[in-house]
Order: sequence, then C-alpha cells, then structure tokens
Amino acid sequence: MTDDIRALTARMADEPGSLAFLELAEALRRRGQLDAAYKVARGGVSRYPGLADAHDLMARVLSDQGDLAGAFDAWSSALQLDPMRTSALKGIAFLYFRAGDRDAALTHLERALEVDPDDPAIAKAISRLAAAPLPTPPPPVESAPPELPPASAAATAPPGARRRHGLFEELDGGEQGLLLVDGNGLRLGGRLAGEDGDAAGDRVAAQLAGVSREAARASRLLGLGSWHSIAVESPDAHLVLAQPTPDTVLLASRDPSLPMGRVTLLAERAARAARAWLEAEG
Amino acid sequence: MRALEPWVVQPLETFLAESAARLTLLMTSSGQVVAQHGFSRSLDVMTAAALGAGIVASTDELARLMGGARFEALVHHGQRQSCMLAVFGTPRGRWIGLVVFGPETSVGIVRLFFDQMVQQLAAAAPREQPAAPMLAENFETELDASLKALFGR
Amino acid sequence: MTATQTALDRVTRVPGVRGALVVAAADGLVVAEQLMDGVDGQAAAALTGSLVGRLARTAESAGLRPPAFVHLRGDSGSVLAAPGPDDLVLVAVVGPDANLGLARLEMIEAAGRLA
Repeated sequence: MTDDIRALTARMADEPGSLAFLELAEALRRRGQLDAAYKVARGGVSRYPGLADAHDLMARVLSDQGDLAGAFDAWSSALQLDPMRTSALKGIAFLYFRAGDRDAALTHLERALEVDPDDPAIAKAISRLAAAPLPTPPPPVESAPPELPPASAAATAPPGARRRHGLFEELDGGEQGLLLVDGNGLRLGGRLAGEDGDAAGDRVAAQLAGVSREAARASRLLGLGSWHSIAVESPDAHLVLAQPTPDTVLLASRDPSLPMGRVTLLAERAARAARAWLEAEG
Repeated sequence: MRALEPWVVQPLETFLAESAARLTLLMTSSGQVVAQHGFSRSLDVMTAAALGAGIVASTDELARLMGGARFEALVHHGQRQSCMLAVFGTPRGRWIGLVVFGPETSVGIVRLFFDQMVQQLAAAAPREQPAAPMLAENFETELDASLKALFGR
Repeated sequence: MTATQTALDRVTRVPGVRGALVVAAADGLVVAEQLMDGVDGQAAAALTGSLVGRLARTAESAGLRPPAFVHLRGDSGSVLAAPGPDDLVLVAVVGPDANLGLARLEMIEAAGRLA
C-alpha cells in the first residue's frame, strides 16, 4: 500500500464522513484496485448524494470496470447536479464514442467546449473524433447493460419527473430543480426535487410572483435600474431567480455544494430556454 | 378608495398599492375627512377621524410640554395589526394620515411610501382657493355630501 | 466600538460598497447606517427588509432553512443582505464594480456577530 493511500485510509477511519473518500477512491482507481475504489466511491455517494464530485468519481470507477451503463447513469447524475461539469460531458462523450455513436459523442464534447473553451484537450478530442474511424462496438452479451439512450436523453429528467411541453428538455438535468412561473404565481413548467416536487413547486410558485414585484420595486427605488437576478444562499440549497420576460420569473435550485456562480450560469441558460419556449408557445 | 378632492386620488392609490395598507384615512387637523380606504361604515370613518385628530392634538401638547418639536408620526404596534398616525403639511394646511396595516407589510414600507405620497400630494395640490364662509345650516349639508362621496353613494 | 459599528466599518471598507446599514427586518427600519451621499437608507431598510422576509417565506415553502445571504443584482449595482440574529439584517448597497466576493465574506462574518 502506498503512503498516500495509507494516509487517506487512516483519515477515513478517523472521520468516516470526510470528503477524503474522493482522493482515496481516485488513488485506488489509478492503481487499478477497482473493487476497493468502487467500495469507497459507493460509500461516498450514499453519504453525499448531492455531491457531483462523488457521482463523477463513481462514473470513472464504473467505466474502468467496464460497466458502461452504470458509468453513464453516474455521469448523468453528476450533470444533473452540476450541468457545467466538463468531466461528465467528456465521460459521456467517450461512452457514446465507444458505443459507435459519433454524433452523440460530438454533441457532448461541443457542449463541454462551450462551458470551458480554454481546455485544449476538448478541442483536440473534437478534431480527433471527427477524423477517427469509429471503434467496433462490443458484441452484445447476455448480461450486458442496456444500450445507451440517444443523445438528447443525456438531459432527460430523472424517473418520476413530469415533462411539461419540452420547456427545459435541452438542459442537462431537464426540468428538475427549475421552475418557470407567470406573473400570477402560477407554475408554467419545471418542478422541484423530491417526491412532492410538483406540490412544492406550486407552493413556491405562489410566492415567486411577489418576490419578482418586490425585487423590481427595490431595484428601481434604490437606483439600480431593472433587476437581473437574485441569488439566495440557504444552508439547504443555492437558489437563483431570474426574469426570462417581464411577466415571468424563473427559479433554479441546486444543492449548496454547487458553487453559486454555476447555479447562476444554469439559471441564465434556463432563462434563455424559457424565453424561446414562451415565444414558441405564443 | 374614495376622496373628496380628485387631486388626492392618484397619490393615495399609489400609496395603497405599494404599502398594502388595510385602512387609510386622510383628514385635516380638525378631523375633517378628505379621503378614505378600507372602511365599510361612515360611523367608523367619523369615529376614527375624531379619535385620530384627538390623539395628534394630545401628542402635540405633550411635545410642547417636553419643549421639543411636534412629533411627525406615531406608531402603535399590535399583535395582528398596527396603526400609524402621521402629521404632514400640504398647500391646504396641516393634514393627518391614519394608516392601519398588518404583518403582510412593515412600518418601514408604510412610512417610506407615505412620505412619497406626501411629496406627491404637495405637487398635485391645486392653488389655494379662498374658502367660502361656513354657515351653520351649510355644515350638515356639507358633511352629508362628504360622507356620500366617501362611500360612493 | 459596538459590534454593529464594527460590522458597518468592515463592510464599507470593501471596494465598491456605497453604503451599509443594519436593519430590523420585520419593521424595515434602520438600526444603524454608514452611507455615502445618494444612498437612501430609509428606502434600503424598508425595501430590503421586505424582500428578505419574502425570500424567507419562499424558502420555507420549499422546505428550506432561511437564507444566509441574498444578492439582488440590478443594471447598475446590487443590494447584498446577510441576516443575523434577532431579526437584524446587515445590508450593503454596492456599485457594479464592487468586489462582491469580499463583500459577501465580510458580511456573512459580520452579520453573525451583530447584537
């Protein structure tokens, strides 16, 4: 056992809830100790289900173990929590490439490039992908995991979420944790996380119209002009409110482990999607 | 919302929309009602106006005894609702505002928009017109007409 | 120097902060202030107190604990609010080029010490 693994193992023994599991599982994975890496990663994911890093790590371990469908699910979870996570976008692109779907692979790499245009590896991967022959997809095996879903489903909302007229379907994570509300406090689309996401969404929607009016008034009377966004840090979530149109308000809600700047970017993207949808709906 | 003078309407409507006040009464310092919102009975309007003017007169006297300037505003905080009495100058003389509000708003918001209303009233008031002499037989007619106007009848 | 004054001093030293005040949120009234010319303390107290209260109710309706920090961004500046104990909120009005990260850190720390 190397020194770093020994030290990290000791730290985990002292503080089972520590985030050191991320480094430990990664170190084990790099050494090829995939079973041990999987056990550590699985413990971390169950303790921190809202941590995108944990799902990203699990995906890398599963990918190395050959469980491509499992890796896809784990990277999808990471993207739901952190839609700008380029490592997850790259990972999913790799999986699609392995499965012979070059277009889906390119779609995900291009999205990663939008998020991080300064990463030379992404641009290189795109040009290589465009030129490279497709690998032969592995032969189907009885116990093989199910086929990878089509590209647009990488942004599919998790099971149980209701899709409302394709409002946020192009966004990673879909409509989960996003709410679009009209000026009367009625929900136009999206839902909050949790089993009663629709009911909670309706309750929150009823409050949001008033928040929008208050924000507009405060911003105007304090000489700040029109309001653009409200970022709210709660111990339980990071919330960002934006105004896709003068008559609507959008709420993006994410786990507090996601930096507020990223939640703001997500809200901006969701607001653009909402504007396009509202225009299309007429 | 009802007002005896049309130039009061816009500033008062803006105040009501922004402050979320439940009841509002604007009156002269002698208790003559100029505008009201939220009251359902004329008796309540008259009683509130008389009591409000009386409280202001008492606190004016208190301020005089204390050797200080007149109080601009009084706020009574209640469990379910609160009441603000504020005195302000207009081109038509000294007026009193009585505002009742609940927890859906705050005294800060009420005061902020009340002060804005006072500025708007000062700007909107028409030029002073000479007052017609008040005769005893006109008084009841005037009062009756005022109450009818304030209750939209 | 009181905790309130210390809080105001720390926040107003951050580049781009036009003024800071401590507000009794439920009443929307100023408790203490340190403002540059052109910043209306009465309005900032009333409007921010009202907005923070409404956001707290929104968070509650979503099953979340009350906000620990709020940032309202406008065309030409922002209002920042950090709730403290006893219904007090530390509020800052900042320009568009303010060091928001530093202001946020100073406000969260200072708000926790308000009394």
